[in-house]
Amino acid sequence: MTPGWLVFAAGAGVVVGLCGSRAPRVWLTATVAGAAAALAAALWVLIAGQTWDWRFAVTLGGEALHLRLDGISAFFLALLALVGGLCSIYAHGYWRDEDHPASAPSGRAWWSTVLVSMALVLLSTNGLHFLVAWEAFSVGNYFLITRERHKPEARSAGWLFLVASHAATLCLIVFFAGLAARTGSWELGPMQYRSELAPWFWLALLGFGIKAGFFPLHIWLPSAHANAPTHVSALLSGVSIKMGIYGLVRFSGWMPAPDGAGWVIAAAGAASAVLGVAFALGQHDLKRLLAYHSVENIGIILIGLGFAMVAAAHEEYAWGRLAMAGSLLHVWNHALFKALLFMGAGAVLHSTGTREMSRLGGLWRAMPWTAALFLLGAVAISGLPPLNGFVSEFLVYLGLFGAVSAHTSGSWTAAPAAILLCITGALALACFAKAFGVVFLGLPRSDAVARAHEHASAMRVPMLLLGLACVAIGLVPAAVWALLAHAIATWQPGWTETAPPASVVALSEFHVGVAVFAGLGVWALRRRVVRNGLTRAPTWDCAYARPTARMQYTPGSFAAIITAWFGWILHQRRRVVRPAGPFPTHASFEEHTPDTVLDQVVRPGGVLVMRAAGAARRLQHGRIQAYVLYVLIGVAGLAILAVTGGAR
Amino acid sequence: MKFATSSIHVCASIGIWLLLAPLLPGVINKVKAWIAGRTGPPVLQLYFDLARLWRKQIVLSTAVSPAHVAGPAVAFVALVGASLLLPLGRAGAPIAFEGDAVLFVYLLALARFATATAALDTGSAFEGMGAAREVSFAVLAEAAIITALLVLGVQTGSVSLTRMLAPAAGAGTMLLAAGLYMVLLAENCRMPFDDPNTHLELTMIHEVMVLDHSGPPLAVILHGAALKLLIFCVLLTEAVVPLGGLSPLVVVATLGGAVLLTAVGVGVVESMQARLPFRRVPMLLTTAFLLCLFALMIAWKRNPL
Repeated sequence: MTPGWLVFAAGAGVVVGLCGSRAPRVWLTATVAGAAAALAAALWVLIAGQTWDWRFAVTLGGEALHLRLDGISAFFLALLALVGGLCSIYAHGYWRDEDHPASAPSGRAWWSTVLVSMALVLLSTNGLHFLVAWEAFSVGNYFLITRERHKPEARSAGWLFLVASHAATLCLIVFFAGLAARTGSWELGPMQYRSELAPWFWLALLGFGIKAGFFPLHIWLPSAHANAPTHVSALLSGVSIKMGIYGLVRFSGWMPAPDGAGWVIAAAGAASAVLGVAFALGQHDLKRLLAYHSVENIGIILIGLGFAMVAAAHEEYAWGRLAMAGSLLHVWNHALFKALLFMGAGAVLHSTGTREMSRLGGLWRAMPWTAALFLLGAVAISGLPPLNGFVSEFLVYLGLFGAVSAHTSGSWTAAPAAILLCITGALALACFAKAFGVVFLGLPRSDAVARAHEHASAMRVPMLLLGLACVAIGLVPAAVWALLAHAIATWQPGWTETAPPASVVALSEFHVGVAVFAGLGVWALRRRVVRNGLTRAPTWDCAYARPTARMQYTPGSFAAIITAWFGWILHQRRRVVRPAGPFPTHASFEEHTPDTVLDQVVRPGGVLVMRAAGAARRLQHGRIQAYVLYVLIGVAGLAILAVTGGAR
Repeated sequence: MKFATSSIHVCASIGIWLLLAPLLPGVINKVKAWIAGRTGPPVLQLYFDLARLWRKQIVLSTAVSPAHVAGPAVAFVALVGASLLLPLGRAGAPIAFEGDAVLFVYLLALARFATATAALDTGSAFEGMGAAREVSFAVLAEAAIITALLVLGVQTGSVSLTRMLAPAAGAGTMLLAAGLYMVLLAENCRMPFDDPNTHLELTMIHEVMVLDHSGPPLAVILHGAALKLLIFCVLLTEAVVPLGGLSPLVVVATLGGAVLLTAVGVGVVESMQARLPFRRVPMLLTTAFLLCLFALMIAWKRNPL
């Protein structure tokens, strides 16, 4: 067996799944087997440190089919295979034929299509094939997002996704066509030496940036993630948006980057990180909240990538390598804990029927597994030791501190980036204390919680595996270093060093110590409490005798201090009916945080375009006389041009 | 052999930190009592309280999950972990590596997450209020701390607390000290940010988060709070005083004296100042952040490496 055969087996598995999508078990078995084969191939390439290259005799669209699995594509393929495979298992339990007889079978077909086309995006080395696979993946995603198309909000989310995706595809078509015109071939590969290609990178940044969803190109992301079925949200957030990051990593490595591209990417990353989490704090819908955290985490990834590009331009190997390692590792980490969190949110939605956090509460009793795993994901995404989220942020910090210490021109920008990254971490902590506390702790806020129950193992097993992966990367980050090192060496051919830095090894030991002692501490304290004896009593509400669950802090009130700080961009809408008179009968409070970029920039822009188009449409009215007039005016104009221009 | 010495170093450090920590709140209370003309509780009061609480029975709310007891334990372990990264004297910190400064900040964050989660667990409006304030104000405090660490990083070219804290903070020392002192007051819930002695739950931050804790978990929380105060006092002292080149005896005397002085200062501030209204707290914390930021600019200008 070689990676080539494994990739072939993976493709065969997923295609069998695609053909057998009518039969759920056949589909699941074939897809998971295919994902396992793809994972094995990717890990093989990453561990062996080699590149697998396969040219076919077949031509597609006049271009010879050429697939390549190198360090970077293997790094992303491993992610696609692992998270995609686990999400497939979850989908099997979450979107069953019994509940969704119409949409489940076609959903499985689109799911397989998306998996195959994402793998092709990663493997193809031909611009034309890349575009075809990219388009198939975007369209497939559209059909996955609109599984519940009887709901108007799902339709509008799908529409927005489709428009944004096509804006991205348009940029990429121009980008690839431009490259093909300049280089004379659709073949893609290293072209750093052709410095005249540098300006084309901006188009790639725009196209891949829309897919990755960094601020302010994230407009499609919150509604698509919130309204898609949860297994789709997990795949979208874990893997699909990473295709945008793949594109950026790939072409920042292959192409000569224009001056300042690193700074722009890092600045966009810092803005996404802080504003993404600020918008997340304003949300009351659990899935929308998680969606905005994708914007935040893409920001963290881009801070690392941006500074790595700066380092590459200045040939600063030492800290550039750390920033890049942090960025790439965060790509994996974010996929692991975000898929875990979405699956947890899906389990909550499935059993309570609501995503509205202010109607939930106290779910840990009915769903202890989901609660524990969601807590694990929350700690990981807040970037707290000893889990994986901290490891990648730690590496990014090391890169930034290294840039500050290096004291080269412009490296002062790493200081504000480090401060903003720290603020992001603190805000994410606040947001996940809120999300976990409001949904799983305290008392039930509505009857929706009464129906809650734990789920079938098809939904629990993938969550458990994702949680284990988070713990494993957190405790032994040195073990994944070799894989990272190969991906980095592929990105910048000079940056080869396989031994993990001493600080990662030390951090690994420290994490194990913290985990062991935290466990021991909890055990000892529990033992002591039980031995001393305990009494149960109602919560002490400062001597108030009849507390109710409605008196608990709500998600809005928990985040109120911070959302007020970000009021300049959040523009929250509130509808308040104050209690009036000596015997008030009715009072209500409603709060809503719309997406500012979408509502105040894109929509007015769209309205403007429509108005201009409407005005232009008046020229087309079907009266022949007027058309003759147009022709005459045109001819007259041409005649004038010919006479005046012909004089020269 | 190396493993044995380093584990002895770790155990000794943990012992020193845990034994000395409860002394500080006692000192502060004594100072406050003196200024108010009272006798006040003995300096060792917290030790007695901890011993008594550790033996006590516990009343648990009917609403709480296992996270309510686990939270304080995790927070305590995180704080002990953070204390191990700070150097005590010439031997340096028991655990030191490049990047431990970042780990230090995030261990404090882990402690905060555990405390806030345990507070939200009770479903009480008051505890939700306290947790919300704690995590919100910490955003600004954390920004100030990372800026202070960047100052030290620029000066020493290192990201390890042992090396960063050996020399003094250079030209911006006073700015940095003022900024860190404000962060110390805020993070340890002292006046003018929070009132540790108030009887009105509506106006509290830290104390209101632990309303429903009792017995051994409360002992762990109080001990952890004292440890956090000591950690910040030591961090402030070492950032300001160049302890790196001194002889061991002088180091111990200076460190002890400076930490005591800081505690006395906290007591004096607490006796002289009223608590700020909550809407003013962010402004004061922003001031702390700006002080650290100016220190960073000075450090950047003074260190053309």
